[in-house]
Amino acid sequence: MLNYNSPIMDVKDYLQIKISEVEPIIKINLRGKNRDFITKIAKELSIIPPTDPNTSSSNEKLNILWLSPDEWLIYSSDKIDLKNNNSLENKLFDQISKIKLGSVTNVSDHWVMINLKGDNVFELLSAGCPFNFNDFKNSKGAVTQTLLNHIDVIIHNKNINDLNLFVRRSFSNHLWSWMNDSARFI
Amino acid sequence: MNKNLRITNSKFIDQTSRISFKFNGKTLYGFRGDTLASALLANDIHLVGRSFKYHRPRGIMTCGSEEPNGIVQVGNDSSMTEPNTRATEIELYEGLEATSQNCWPSVNFDVGAINNFFSLFIPAAFYYKTFMWPASFWKKYEYFIRKSAGLGRSPTKPDKDIYDHRYLHCDVLVVGGGISGIIAAKLAAQNNLNTVLIDDKNNLGGTTLFQENECFKINNSYSNQWLKKEIENLNSFKNLTIKTRTTLAAYHSYNYLLARENLTDHLSLNEKKDKIRQRLWKIRAKKVIIATGAMERPLIFNNNDRPGIILSSSIKKYIDYYGVKCGQNISLFTNNDSAYETAISLSKSGVIVNSVIDIRDKSNSSIVKEAEKLGIKIHWKHTVVNTNGYKRISSIELMKLSDDGAAVVGNKSKEECDCLGISGGWTPRVHLFTQSGGKLKFRDKDNIFLPDKSASEQISIGSCNGDFELDDVIKNSNKSIKEFLNVNNSDYENLEIKCSKETDKKNIWLLPSNKPLGKTKPFLDFQNDSTAKDVKLALREGFKSIEHVKRYTTTGMGTDQGKLSNMHALGIIAEAAVVNMGELGTTTFRPPYTPLTFGAIVGRNVGEFFDITRKTPMHDWHAKYNAEFENVGQWKRAWYYPIKNETMYEAVQRESKAARDSAGILDASTLGKIDIQGSDSSEFLNRVYTNEWSKLEIGKCRYGLMLNEDGMVYDDGVTTRLGENHYIMTTTTGGAANVLSKLEDYLQTEWPELDVYLTSVTDHYATVSICGPNSKKILSKVIPDIDLSDKEFPHMSFKNALIDNIKCRVMRISFTGEHSYEINIQSSYGKSVWEKCFEAGKEFNITPYGTETMHLLRAEKGFIIAGQDTDGTMTPVDLQMDWIISKKKYDFIGKRSLYRSDTIREDRKQLVGLVTDDPKEVLEEGAQIVSETNKQPIEMLGHVTSSYFSPNLNKSIALAILKNGKKLKGQKMFVPMKNKTINVTITDTVFLDKENKRLNA
Repeated sequence: MLNYNSPIMDVKDYLQIKISEVEPIIKINLRGKNRDFITKIAKELSIIPPTDPNTSSSNEKLNILWLSPDEWLIYSSDKIDLKNNNSLENKLFDQISKIKLGSVTNVSDHWVMINLKGDNVFELLSAGCPFNFNDFKNSKGAVTQTLLNHIDVIIHNKNINDLNLFVRRSFSNHLWSWMNDSARFI
Repeated sequence: MNKNLRITNSKFIDQTSRISFKFNGKTLYGFRGDTLASALLANDIHLVGRSFKYHRPRGIMTCGSEEPNGIVQVGNDSSMTEPNTRATEIELYEGLEATSQNCWPSVNFDVGAINNFFSLFIPAAFYYKTFMWPASFWKKYEYFIRKSAGLGRSPTKPDKDIYDHRYLHCDVLVVGGGISGIIAAKLAAQNNLNTVLIDDKNNLGGTTLFQENECFKINNSYSNQWLKKEIENLNSFKNLTIKTRTTLAAYHSYNYLLARENLTDHLSLNEKKDKIRQRLWKIRAKKVIIATGAMERPLIFNNNDRPGIILSSSIKKYIDYYGVKCGQNISLFTNNDSAYETAISLSKSGVIVNSVIDIRDKSNSSIVKEAEKLGIKIHWKHTVVNTNGYKRISSIELMKLSDDGAAVVGNKSKEECDCLGISGGWTPRVHLFTQSGGKLKFRDKDNIFLPDKSASEQISIGSCNGDFELDDVIKNSNKSIKEFLNVNNSDYENLEIKCSKETDKKNIWLLPSNKPLGKTKPFLDFQNDSTAKDVKLALREGFKSIEHVKRYTTTGMGTDQGKLSNMHALGIIAEAAVVNMGELGTTTFRPPYTPLTFGAIVGRNVGEFFDITRKTPMHDWHAKYNAEFENVGQWKRAWYYPIKNETMYEAVQRESKAARDSAGILDASTLGKIDIQGSDSSEFLNRVYTNEWSKLEIGKCRYGLMLNEDGMVYDDGVTTRLGENHYIMTTTTGGAANVLSKLEDYLQTEWPELDVYLTSVTDHYATVSICGPNSKKILSKVIPDIDLSDKEFPHMSFKNALIDNIKCRVMRISFTGEHSYEINIQSSYGKSVWEKCFEAGKEFNITPYGTETMHLLRAEKGFIIAGQDTDGTMTPVDLQMDWIISKKKYDFIGKRSLYRSDTIREDRKQLVGLVTDDPKEVLEEGAQIVSETNKQPIEMLGHVTSSYFSPNLNKSIALAILKNGKKLKGQKMFVPMKNKTINVTITDTVFLDKENKRLNA
C-alpha cells in the first residue's frame, strides 16, 4: 500500500493560540461564469456559491469560498476517507466540466489546510500579513487571499478566532516553521 | 554618584532603584528612569566623545534624538558592540557598558586632537582639494582616509538579538505624545475611531509633563497637572493603542508608515535574554496626525561646542525630569523667552544662575518678569563672543551688540560658569511631513519652515505646525483635529489657559565676535565639525544650492542628519547670498528620522527565514540520500547525490552514465502544471503555442513553445490531452507562476470570448520520472496492470493508471532522450511512489539523479532549457526549431513579430553545437566565441550557453548561440580564455542518438 504523507502532521500550542494541520481534506477548485453553473453547483451540493467578493457559504459537510468572480474553492469540513475520496470530484466533473458549464479540478494536495485557533490568532497573522483584519475578524465566513510571510495564502474566517488557512503544499513547511517561530514571541 | 548634582524632587526617576553601569571602563551609578546622558551628567561627566574632524572634546548637548555629540559605543564585546548610539536616548539598565568614540587612546587624552591645531589648514573640502594629486598616490591616501573615516566600530559578528515586524491598521495614527498629541488621541478615541498613539519616550506628555510654572496654567492647575489627568483618561479607551518607546522612522506615500518600538533596550542584560529587542511596525493609517513638536536651536558663536554647553530646554529637562543639575553655576544665552523657563526651574532647584545673556533689547513677557522677580541677572542686547575651558566650559566672554546686531561694541567682560545653556529659538519638526511628500512654507516672523500642502490624509498640529504658545497649541490643535476628523467634541473649547506670551523676537544666525571670522570657531554642525566659516567658504567658491553646500561642507550629514545645524546653515547662506530663506528651501529630509538598526529593518527574515523555500513531497528522501540541493526559483531541487565524498563532477558523471546504461530516477515535481478545461481549450492552445493543437488526440502529449509578443521564446513544456475539453500543461519550474498569470491575463483581456478555465495544480501532483533502457521493466513492476508495449503506449502518450488503488497519470515523455515515463500522482503519495519505484529499480541499479545530470543528459540530446539557452532574444528559428512554427495557423502569440525585418535576418545569433579540439577540454558557460584572435578590436560572435563533459560520448560538448551559426556548421572558431585560447568546431545541436532509437527503444 502506498503511504499517505501530509507535509506537516503536527499540532502546536502557544499562548492563546493553537495551530494544527488538518488533513486529509477534500479541496476542489470550481470555475464557471454563467447562471447555469451556479444553479448546478447549488443543486449538487445544496449550497449556493457566494457571489459577494471575499465571502463563503457553508453547510455541515462543505464550505465554498469565493476566490474571484468566476472561481471558488470547495473544502470539506471533516477529514475524508482516503479509500473513497474521489466521488465528489467525479460527480462535479461529470455534472459541470463534461457538459461544458465550467471546470472542476481536484486541488486536495495543492493546498494544505492549517487551523489557527485562539485569542491571539490575529496577533500571529499581523507578524507577517499586510492585510487589514479589523473588519475581517468580526465577519464570520469572510475570506481573504493575501500574503503571510511573503507566501500566498487563503484565509477563511470560520468562527470567532478560529481560522482555516490554505497554503500551497510546497510552501507549507516553510510557513509552518515561520508560524511556530512567530507564535513563540506573542 | 555626586550627590550634589542630583536633586530629590524628581517625579519621574525611581531614586530607590540604583543601577550600575560602566562608562569608559569606570563603574558609575544612576537610577531607573535615567538615560545614559542624565546619569553621566549626574556623575559630573560632560566630556563624552571627540568630534569627527578636529577631535575636539565634546559633551552632551541635548536631551533627545537630535543629539549630535553625545554618541557612544555600547557593549563591551567587540563582536556585538553597537556604534553611534545617542546617550540621550539610551535608557539606563543594569550592566550597560558604554565607551567614547573617535578617540585614542582615551577621550581624555586623544592623539587625534592634534588636528585641532592644524584646523586652519583643513577647512571644508580639504580632502577634495588635497588628495587630487598626484593621481597615482590615491591608493596610499585612500588607506589612511578610510582608516580615519566614520565614527565608532562596527560589530564583527552576526547580531544575536532578535527583531521582528508587525503590521498595524488604524483609523487614526497620532505621532507624538506631547500635549497636542494627547488631545488628538483623546478626540479620535472618543469618537470611536481605532486610534494609535506613539511616542519615542517611555512617558507620554512631552515637555509639558514637567512644566510646573506659575506662568503656565490650565483651568487654574499647573499645565503639567492638567496634562497628567488627560493622560490618565486615555487609559479608559479600549479603541486607543498607546505605544511608548516607539519612534516613527519613515512616513511614505498613502499613509504607510514605519515605526520602531524598543521592547527590551531598557531592560537589564538578564531580563532581555531571548526576548525581541526591537519591533518594526508597518502601519497603514486612514488619517495621520503629526504632533512631533519642535527642536530648540543652538546659537552660533565662537567656540560654541565645548562640553558643558547645552541647549537651554535640555538643561530644564535634566533638572525638572531627571533631577540632575548640569552644573553648579550656570549661565544662559538666548534670543527668546524659553531660556527664562530654564532659569526659573534652575533657580527653584537651588542652582546658581549667573545670568541670562539675551541678544534682544528687552522683553516684557510674564516669564521674563518672573525671572527678574527671582533676582536673575539679565544682560540685554549682549552676546557671548567666546568661551573658555578645554574639556569643560569654565567661563564665557560677553560683549554688547551694536544696534543693528552686526557687530559688538564696548568692553569685553568675563563670567565664570561650569555650564552654558543656549537657546536660539525653535524649529518645528517637519521631517515626517516632508517625507510623506508634503511641501513646506516659510514664516518670516520667526524664521521657520512650516507644513503647507500635502497629498496625504494628514495634519500637523502643535509646535511642529508653528504654534509655540500653550494657548495656541491647545486652541489651534483642537480646531484642526475636529475639522480633520469631522467630530464635534467640546472638551477643549472653554479651557481657561494662562501662559506667557513672547512679545519680542530677534534672530541673528551668526553672532558677531570681536575677532575676524577667520580666527573664530563658530560651529554649525557639531558632529561633522562644520563651521560658519566653512559654509561661507563654499559660497565664495561658487556653491549656491543648499544641497551642494551640504555635500561640500558635510553640514547636515552624519547620524543626526543636521537636526540642529540645518536652519543656521540656511540662514547664513541666505544672508550671504541675499535671498529669502523661503526661496532657498531646505535639504531633503529622508527616512529614517533617527538611525534604525539593521536588525529592525530585517526583522525575522534571517537564517532559515532569509528567503522562502519550497520543497517537493520527496524532499526528505533526497536529504536522507545525501543530496546537495540547488535553488531553482524558491524550490530546493536535488542537484546531485554524492556518494563517498564524490565531487559534483564525479557524481554527475556517474549519474549520467547510469541513466543511459540502465535506469535513472528524477524528481520532476517542481515543473509547473496547469489544468485547462473548457470547450475552447484546443483553440486556446493554438493561440498560446506556435504549433498546431486541434488535431492532438485524446491520450497524446505534445511539446509546445510559447513566445512573447515580440516573437522571442518565453517558455516551453509538454501538454497532454486528457479529454475532449481537458488538457494539462507543464511549464518550466521557474516560469510556472508567470506563465499562469500571463495566460489568465490573455483570457481576461484579449480573448474573453474563449470558454477556457485555468487552474494551477503544480503542488497537487508529485512527478516521478524514470528514464533509461530499463525504465519500462521498472514501471511494469510498479504498475503491473498497464500495457507498456510501444503499440499501446507509444512515446508522447499518456495513460490513467492505479498504483495500489490510488489514481495516477503516466506520461511516456522524455527530456533525456532515453525511454522515459513520468508518473504524476497526488502529492501526498509522491514519496511513497518514489520509494516504490526506487525499490523496484534496485535490481536494475536505478540511480537517483539531480538537476545537474538532467541538464547534461538533455544537452547530449540538444534539448534547450528556456532561460539557459535562451535569453529573451531568441526566436524558434534562432533555436533551429523552425519545425515547431505552424504555417497553417491564423495566429498565435508572437507570430507577427516572427516576420519583422530583424527577426528574419539570416545572420542573427543562432543555437549551435560546439565540440572542442581537445575532447577533454570543457568550455566555461558564458565564454565568448570569436573567429579571429589577432584582430583588434576582437569581434564577439556569440557565447557558450551550456557545457559539459559527456561520459556517454566520452568528450566535451557544448551548446552556444552564435552569429549566423546555422551556416557555420563544420567551421573552426576560438574561445579565448584568461590563460589560453580553446579551438572549437561548430556542430549540430544533437550530439547523441539523432535517430531517436533510444527514445523509442
